[in-house]
Amino acid sequence: MEINNDKLLKDFFGENKKEIADFGFSQRVMRKLPEVTDHSWIVWIFGAIGMVLTFLAGLQIGVIQYLFRLFQIIPQIYIIVGVFGFSVVIGIAVLLNQNRNYRII
Amino acid sequence: MMSNTDDIRWVTQVALLGDKSAFDKLTRKYQSPIRRFFLNLTMGDGPLSDDLAQETFIKAYLNITAFKGLSGFSTWLYRIAYNVFYDSVRAQKVYADIDEQQIDSQHQTQNEFSAEKMDIYKAMKILRKEEQTAVLLFYMEDKTHKEIARIMDCPLGTAKTYILKAKEKLSVYLTQAGYGNK
Repeated sequence: MEINNDKLLKDFFGENKKEIADFGFSQRVMRKLPEVTDHSWIVWIFGAIGMVLTFLAGLQIGVIQYLFRLFQIIPQIYIIVGVFGFSVVIGIAVLLNQNRNYRII
Repeated sequence: MMSNTDDIRWVTQVALLGDKSAFDKLTRKYQSPIRRFFLNLTMGDGPLSDDLAQETFIKAYLNITAFKGLSGFSTWLYRIAYNVFYDSVRAQKVYADIDEQQIDSQHQTQNEFSAEKMDIYKAMKILRKEEQTAVLLFYMEDKTHKEIARIMDCPLGTAKTYILKAKEKLSVYLTQAGYGNK
């Protein structure tokens, strides 16, 4: 009897369960959202702490000293191209990310 | 299929970076179940449901840092929706002051869902508000007893009792209405 009742209710609610189309509801919600303070500085703080910790750990185990010796050995042109290439890639990534944010918001 | 992992990622983006586009994704994902939940609780009042749903999402956005991830984002959102609905009921006393017959007649003409969903609204009316909420969350929104207890902020046993009582009342009502024979 209990199982029959459960099935009866499952069928009943299942038949009445409908997906509701958005019809601009989400856009209306987004328009009404208040501006909140930018918390992105938290990411930079944690990033900086992470870098410092990594650097200190690197010094401790000798990786930094090894890299320093490596930089003295490899041709300078490699280092220059590497630094420029890295900056260009990061710059493009930041620009693309900004464009995407402006388009969505 | 979007998973709970997506929810956590989007919530993190909103909480840490104030990323509105991530919140937009959460809104699009959950607008249908939240609006349906309100639509059933308000007996098919579409405009009121949308207002309450909008308030729910705005409150979720403003308090997103309070989401600790102990329950799923969906459960947390329903918890807010539940509070918004009962705050609204307490503040406006909509259902106590307005003639229910008048509501019915308005909805029959104003709401696109009303015609086909009158059965469910009639059935809901035989239940107490807590029983309505619990049974809708259980059968319509596929929430577990534990999640329902969290949403309604009541002991697990109380949530189970609401569902059990609602089940008993609805079974009798639907059987008498000849639903099972259709």
